Amino acid sequence: MEEQLIEITIDGQNVRVDPSANIVEACAHAGVKIPTLCYLKGISQNASCGVCVVEVEGAKSLVRSCVQKPVPGMKIRTSSPRVIRARKTAVELLLANHPDDCLSCIRSDTCELHTIANILEVRADRFPGYKKYPMPDTTSEGIVRDDSKCILCGRCVAVCEETQGVHAIAFSGRGARTRVSTFLDRGLAQSACVQCGQCSVVCPTGAITEKDESREVFSAIEDPRLTVVVQTAPAIRASLGEALGLPAGSLVTGQMVAALRRLGFNRVFDTQFTADLTIMEEGSELLERLSKGGTLPMITSCSPGWINFIEGFYPDLLSHLSTCKSPQQMFGSVAKTYYAKKAGLTPDHMRVVSIMPCTAKKYEARRKEMDGAWGWWKEQDPGKVPARPFFDVDWALTTRELARMIKLAGIDISRLPEEEFDDPLGQSTGAGTIFGTTGGVMEAALRTVYELVEKKPLENIEFTKVRGFEAIKTAEVVVGGSPVRVAVAHGLANARVLLDEIRAGKSPYHFIEIMSCPGGCVGGGGQPVLADLEKKLARSQALYEEDRKLAIRKSHENPAVRALYQEFLGKPLGHLSHELLHTSYKARVF
Amino acid sequence: MTKTASNTKMPDIDSIVDSCKEKPGSLLSALEQAQQNDPRKYLSEATLRRISAKLGVPLSKVYSVATFYSFFSLKPQGEHVIVVCRGTACHTRGSLALLNESLSRLGIKEFKEEEENSATSSDSFATIRTVACFGQCALAPVIMVDGKVLSRMTVGKLVSLIEKMKKGGEK
Repeated sequence: MEEQLIEITIDGQNVRVDPSANIVEACAHAGVKIPTLCYLKGISQNASCGVCVVEVEGAKSLVRSCVQKPVPGMKIRTSSPRVIRARKTAVELLLANHPDDCLSCIRSDTCELHTIANILEVRADRFPGYKKYPMPDTTSEGIVRDDSKCILCGRCVAVCEETQGVHAIAFSGRGARTRVSTFLDRGLAQSACVQCGQCSVVCPTGAITEKDESREVFSAIEDPRLTVVVQTAPAIRASLGEALGLPAGSLVTGQMVAALRRLGFNRVFDTQFTADLTIMEEGSELLERLSKGGTLPMITSCSPGWINFIEGFYPDLLSHLSTCKSPQQMFGSVAKTYYAKKAGLTPDHMRVVSIMPCTAKKYEARRKEMDGAWGWWKEQDPGKVPARPFFDVDWALTTRELARMIKLAGIDISRLPEEEFDDPLGQSTGAGTIFGTTGGVMEAALRTVYELVEKKPLENIEFTKVRGFEAIKTAEVVVGGSPVRVAVAHGLANARVLLDEIRAGKSPYHFIEIMSCPGGCVGGGGQPVLADLEKKLARSQALYEEDRKLAIRKSHENPAVRALYQEFLGKPLGHLSHELLHTSYKARVF
Repeated sequence: MTKTASNTKMPDIDSIVDSCKEKPGSLLSALEQAQQNDPRKYLSEATLRRISAKLGVPLSKVYSVATFYSFFSLKPQGEHVIVVCRGTACHTRGSLALLNESLSRLGIKEFKEEEENSATSSDSFATIRTVACFGQCALAPVIMVDGKVLSRMTVGKLVSLIEKMKKGGEK
């Protein structure tokens, strides 16, 4: 590819750069970091903030390097006094209407505006502010929007429109009244928003954040009457370290367990246990649909943002969804029935907290129908539960909230010993681990479905065709003599491609995995911010690495899951499974 | 076409959208025609939703465009619309007096002077709007009455205009 490079001069140095990328990337390649706010590689380039300006010899005005490509012989100055002055003014103008509450802002240590203002040595409020803002929008279960901190960079709009194809928000108004808003400036809960939280990951400031529920969890832990059980999603072990300052892709499974015990959780369990359970149920459901002529392709149902999406945009295709609850919800149901009974706990005095890479999980936990355990107790032993239903999962916290709790408690994760999850809901397999990355649910399902049908071990359990961050991945596996065609999509705009195919009656697939977020849960809306593609890939690699290290890598071989069926559930898709592990969907109107 | 303020029938969005579908800028022309054909000269939520569904343009985008152009109104407007320019040139030539005179003649008590605002008299007879600039500064002060731009306006001319309007003459 060497011949395609062109020669330009950056700050007096001759460098050879790729002419197809913009000047920001060319400079990064040459070791010069240009500050950006509205530009985010692969997501948005609005050329609106004016922070990335550079001086190009011969050009009349300063050039916005996020939208300009280098041409041969171009002479660029990236930090001349004129450039610095312009960048500083741009940031000072943004700060004019920005509240001065950095000390108490949830993004105080990860704010890109703060970082850039600091780099540019902004030391005083130079311009007076004049804008008035509405109160923060707290209508949604997962996401809070605070317009007063918005700098109108447009990253959230771009990710919502282009990456996710949701279009919940757009710029409205004009001039000083310009704002990012939903249709008719209503609360997010009344909009098309699927609560995937990608906007909260790309927001450079504290304008879009997760709804923080860590205080409620701390109070529950402090309440002596309560047994507080925690479950951790697969993707957390590959991103919690990063949120606490370790390199991206650091695998901290054992330290995470230790930290959760030190925070005071009474039992530390693993959502991967119910990921394995999901595979048992979903795999059986797929085989049943294949043999009995059920609706195909069947589509996975683990990702709550995706569920919100199909309920809102493709309600005609709801019969394609697997009826399986997500692993988070299966865990809540099992913990407050099977485990409560086994451990002699009163379900009403139990609290289930989940640590999720996801903001939509907060919403999922509060869906009205997610009270399976209460219903079960009502039938079994009505005296044990109150008249009013309780949720299976009480709080879903994001990776970011857990990281803040750990910091607040002064726990240094790098010095903690590696500890084991509690039994029995802490036992899992490598199949459960890879749930956290795009293609993982599919691979886990294939490992189990193949062996359930063929009744012989797979030669190679790694289905590399469904791995990686390609937009849509497909594969064909022969199971029981007939081909099973599968597809995997991550990011909801990619999901639309597969859904439109189904609508048109042209889908060749039997089984489809869809994850809301780019990269799957490793790129989830509750994951650490400031993450580029490389970091998300590193998180994904960490999960595959853990899978390789584990002795058991297939869901149907999880001994605790087997015991759960023997002691409690009976068999997959049985009566109790339907009651506790399966759900239904309905069209969402906005 | 009857034009009574009580007539709140929605315009026929479907045929409006069909007439501008496939053309560039179809959203803008659909919004424009829908507002013109509305008895209260505005874009209701139902109208915006219908246009969004018919054109396949997301609701947020429709709202984005409808709130960008000052021509569009999301609130019902009166039978008559008076737009007063509050730009610098018009201001120095007395547009504030024009605004205040129109407000008091039409019995509108609450009007917040912001960059751009609008208020409608309680009998829905007239809507008064302000704009930042018409771009007709040489002819200041400028107002627009029911789509017609009137230049070098004076309070006297304005008063007789409004009185004529009230008698049903200026339509």
